[in-house]
Amino acid sequence: MRSLATICVALVLSRAASAADWPQFRGPNATAVSPEKDLPTVWGKDTGIRWRAELPGRGPGSPVVVGNRVYVTCSSGPRDDRLHVLCFDSATGKQLWHRQLQATGSTAAHPKSSMAANTPVADETGVYALFGTGDLAAFDTDGTLRWYRSLVGDYPTITNQVGMAASPVLAAGRLIVPMDNAGESFLAALDTKYGKNLWKADRPREINWTTPLVRPLGDRTEVLFAAPSGLTAFDAVTGQKVWTFKGGAASIPTGTVDGDALYLPVGGVSKFRIDSGGVAEKPDWQAKDLQTGYPSPLVYAGKVFAVSSQGFVACAEAKTGKLLYKERLKGAYSSSPVAADGKVYCMNEQGLCTVLDATADTFEPLAENALGEPTLATPAIANRMIFVRTDKSLFGIGK
Amino acid sequence: MKVRSAVVLGLGLAVAAIPARADEETERALAAIKSVTREGRGNESAGPAWKTLVSKGSAALLPTLAAMTDDDPTVANWLRTAVQSIAAAEKDAGRKLPAGELEAFAKDTKFAGVARRLAYELLVSQDPGAAARLLPGFLNDKNPDLRRDAIAHELEVLEKSARPSLKADLERLFAASRDKDQVELLARKLTENGGTANVTEHFGFVTFVSLVGPFDGRDRSRFETRYPPETALDTSGTFAGKDGARLRWQAVSTTDRMGTFDLNKLLGPYKDAVAYALSVIVADDEMPCEIRVSSATSVKIFLNQKELFGRDEYHHGVTFDGNVGRGTLKKGENVVVLKVCQNNQREEWAQRWQFQMRLCDATGAALPVRQKVQLAGRPQLVRLGFIPESAPNPQEKK
Repeated sequence: MRSLATICVALVLSRAASAADWPQFRGPNATAVSPEKDLPTVWGKDTGIRWRAELPGRGPGSPVVVGNRVYVTCSSGPRDDRLHVLCFDSATGKQLWHRQLQATGSTAAHPKSSMAANTPVADETGVYALFGTGDLAAFDTDGTLRWYRSLVGDYPTITNQVGMAASPVLAAGRLIVPMDNAGESFLAALDTKYGKNLWKADRPREINWTTPLVRPLGDRTEVLFAAPSGLTAFDAVTGQKVWTFKGGAASIPTGTVDGDALYLPVGGVSKFRIDSGGVAEKPDWQAKDLQTGYPSPLVYAGKVFAVSSQGFVACAEAKTGKLLYKERLKGAYSSSPVAADGKVYCMNEQGLCTVLDATADTFEPLAENALGEPTLATPAIANRMIFVRTDKSLFGIGK
Repeated sequence: MKVRSAVVLGLGLAVAAIPARADEETERALAAIKSVTREGRGNESAGPAWKTLVSKGSAALLPTLAAMTDDDPTVANWLRTAVQSIAAAEKDAGRKLPAGELEAFAKDTKFAGVARRLAYELLVSQDPGAAARLLPGFLNDKNPDLRRDAIAHELEVLEKSARPSLKADLERLFAASRDKDQVELLARKLTENGGTANVTEHFGFVTFVSLVGPFDGRDRSRFETRYPPETALDTSGTFAGKDGARLRWQAVSTTDRMGTFDLNKLLGPYKDAVAYALSVIVADDEMPCEIRVSSATSVKIFLNQKELFGRDEYHHGVTFDGNVGRGTLKKGENVVVLKVCQNNQREEWAQRWQFQMRLCDATGAALPVRQKVQLAGRPQLVRLGFIPESAPNPQEKK
């Protein structure tokens, strides 16, 4: 009986975080890498776009995919105070449900952004949507409201008039909510059933758009959270600070954990050794040519890729940091590069996606695909498809 | 028969104006959701209650709308999503929403603005023609979205017609407008059509203040440090300022149509500094007020020495009306004090040290109050937004 129960729990856990899902910002643990195969290289008006669904508003936040459901958030209205959570069928693009909230916090933001800048996080039970206004809601897969919180109602001094964008993540069965801002600044873990605080750690009062990384360590799980004042590891269960690494400062792009290697967007991109005690003081290497900006760096196929806001793509060996190439792409970039099936997808702000051969040591663009609609969001990859949200639409792209 | 039909119709409309009475289970579910408070307290009961409401279908639609309030946005969002789920399920089942009841609800100002707006949206989603029928009645609505849409609709109608009363109609729309973009659009159209539009008075900007500063503000504690203007009303004394300076209140005014006071010009381009602006507001009666401030730097708003609002944030952009202190003006003289801090950022984009301040009601309409000012060497009472025709050179020390 015990074995059966263990197997059941294991099955549930494995389904909750299936490798083929894209459950959060930059996919599985913010790696921006999917194990999916047979993905399209070319798409356009007459090919590759399986479906297009209209969205009710803008949002730099990405779509997320769990099972056959795609979740996306939007904000709309003259005050940008109408907040939307939508769920689509991943195969057909049929809208399954749509719920709206009224913003309870300030909607002040840089005009380029919107209140739907934070990417939601999903698991097999549903979706957790955080907005730049501090509104946070959990919906079941069928659109049932499980719980709702107004974080600005709870903590009224929360403020970031540039606009919030850090995304929540799931760790050790908890919803981790990053809320670094100029007022009451915190990182909190909420129970997923009722949305109540399990712990709430004070943070420096500084604005910050990075998304926490989750690092399983045997019997415990760490949440790594970078900010301008450094990178801090929290115990996901207790909220205790485990260590702080001053050299890991960042405020927009998010790093990547790959085993015992930590790639951080500092000094270009730097590779550090990481173990249970923290991060090595000195990096294995630092590659200044790997410039980031809004997009986060990507580690894939033994290489590190970085796309700068200005549109330069640089690629280096992950082992040594040796630069393999640096080339100019078209347009400006806010979206982070994503990878799967031997390809790297780089989506610019005008919806033009340059597909690179990830296996090549030289700059080998395979295709340039135009959607013709502006986007700031990072694509999602799941179910042998690529999901792109623009200012107007959600696209399902596949062979 | 005609009389009987009219009576029946009249009764029908009267009934339609009142939400259907909720059954006990619905009432319990609404009560559970209305019990939600800070940090998710009450969520355990609210979740099942939400499911109960939605399971009731259209029978719970109007009672749920009626339970929404404008002063509890957390509860309103719980209820909003329940209403949306009920409406979506009815649509999926091929059933119509109760149009008459929704219309009556949307028109009935005893219900919360957020709920009336939601009822209006549900109605229009089912009957797009309802917008043209209802919007003219929302021109002076307390709900900002209904009012905004009504103004946009009326303006569209005006522009398609060639009414001889165009100027008067534009004046009516200008008076009703609250959102900055609509105010500016209507002011421009009014001017183009031979009218006049005083944006400064329309918004109710404070245009005369006494200023004192700079006080020392070398670290972030400047925001919490209570300098003399926060602790006692002394408009004639001198105070210890930054770098040993002796400070006095000085009377200044602005001629900027958007009521901007530029502290870099009025006091000097100080860094790590704190300044205070004081305005005496005279009200004929006690009234609720909103003191709305726009600033790129940290501010605190005080009314009659009570702190109403504070935001400690620097150079992250300026949001019009981004800082709102809510309080009550007493009959007679009221003292409004605004604290405006500056940090030590050196970037070119981080040099602004200025503010706009206005007094308005909850809809954003200028309050019918007066500023007590010194003009021509004697105290006078002038309306908010007043800029004398022979105004002195703006933004200079007097």
